[in-house]
Amino acid sequence: MKNRHYIHSGNMLFTKGIVFIVLLLLSFSATAQTETLTVISNEKGAPAELKMTELKSILKGEKQRWRNGNKITIALMKTNTPAGASTCKKIYDMSSDELKKFWLALVFEGKADAPVFLNSASEIESFVAENPGAIGIINQPLANADAHIVLIDGKKSL
Amino acid sequence: MIRPLLKKIKSFFCILLGLALSGNLFSQNTTIKGFADVLASYDKKASFGFDEQDLFITSQLNDHFSFLGESVFKYDPSSETDFSVSIERLIIKYNYYGNNNIIVGKVHTPINYWNDTYHHGRVFYPTIGRPLLFDAQIIPLHTTGINFQGHDFGNVKFGYDFMIGNGLGSAPVKDNDPYKSVTAAVHIKPVDGMRIGASYYNDVISQGAEVEGKIINWKVNQQLLTGSFAYFGKKFELLTESTLALNHTDTTGTKQTLASYLYAGYKITQKIIPYIRVDDLHYQDGEILFTKDNTQDFVLGLRYQVNYLIVAKLEYQHTQFETEGKNDKITMQLAIGF
Repeated sequence: MKNRHYIHSGNMLFTKGIVFIVLLLLSFSATAQTETLTVISNEKGAPAELKMTELKSILKGEKQRWRNGNKITIALMKTNTPAGASTCKKIYDMSSDELKKFWLALVFEGKADAPVFLNSASEIESFVAENPGAIGIINQPLANADAHIVLIDGKKSL
Repeated sequence: MIRPLLKKIKSFFCILLGLALSGNLFSQNTTIKGFADVLASYDKKASFGFDEQDLFITSQLNDHFSFLGESVFKYDPSSETDFSVSIERLIIKYNYYGNNNIIVGKVHTPINYWNDTYHHGRVFYPTIGRPLLFDAQIIPLHTTGINFQGHDFGNVKFGYDFMIGNGLGSAPVKDNDPYKSVTAAVHIKPVDGMRIGASYYNDVISQGAEVEGKIINWKVNQQLLTGSFAYFGKKFELLTESTLALNHTDTTGTKQTLASYLYAGYKITQKIIPYIRVDDLHYQDGEILFTKDNTQDFVLGLRYQVNYLIVAKLEYQHTQFETEGKNDKITMQLAIGF
């Protein structure tokens, strides 16, 4: 009887553990997908507003220069950060692995320069502010006055 | 005595400081990547081996100029060390306006999808090896010259390549004859993951030229027409290409060769992709530039994508040669990027 009781308790604990892990994973993936993203750019380059299709095209390396001739440089959060994971999903419709392969292939073909992957929103803000033509994606309110927000389909955030 | 010595030391430090500053002012963004793969195969006997070690360098020189170099270290029985190094690509690119570029150097001839996309990075290949038309040397893999290139124009993402190069029989450092090869290629990418392309290639191979180790005893006027369709979607992958080669000599007239392949894959999950590939090489009787050997090939494989830098593949390949009969082979490959 005792043994059966222990086995039953063990099973319950195991089930609870699995449920806990599943909920934890779900909460992580939910967090990754619900990050609010803001597109920022250096004042010398991107226009004040872009369409979502234009943004996707730019962030896929399909456009090398802005209308003023400045070279486009892309700055993204590392794909292992919540904002980076969210950028993969919302902008690229790819997993982080697919995104890395996509860029490695594009650079290998000689068709585009890889984005700069940074650790934090503040690093992206500084990078964008310092580099004419730079465009970046952050997940917090813009703090650097030398960069400006690019409206996407008329909205400040994605 | 001491003053001149101090002056020399001061000058030396000034030079060092200058060099350090110039290094900072003109700092480049240079990256080095590499690709390699190891193989195990069974073809009447078990065998282990590896293909190539590929080093790939990119560098942004300034706002408009960039460099791309690809060097391959591979087995070469004619070398004293059993290995040789070859420069597969050496590209200096000048981005002059928007998405328009001028490329000079040695490139993979922009004649079909596979040659222009995968290069030597086997971690990108959808199958273990390249389609048969590569081994049969139907298309010129490399061209040294000048290429006018543009991409992603308009809603259909139109792209073009127009290249003038040394052509077949020439060395990467010098042309062997006055004839130049011309490659004209266009493509569109109407939806994500899809690319439809067509190209034309023309070259004159002069009498006595050596092409891929074979001496050509006649002057050959070569024209290649290629069409390709590629779609790599979330679930399905389809890639098919055909090249029609028209080789003309004054004595034999024009002889046609048609080389085609079709690859199809299905993503069971993002990591597991079973696939097939069929190849067909058909030469007209009297062909003198290519080595005539009508061949059909069938490949059944499974690709396991560990991550974007590690890919394992298992393949069964059945080949029917006109000259040597049939051949069956099982191969495993582990391809990596580093």
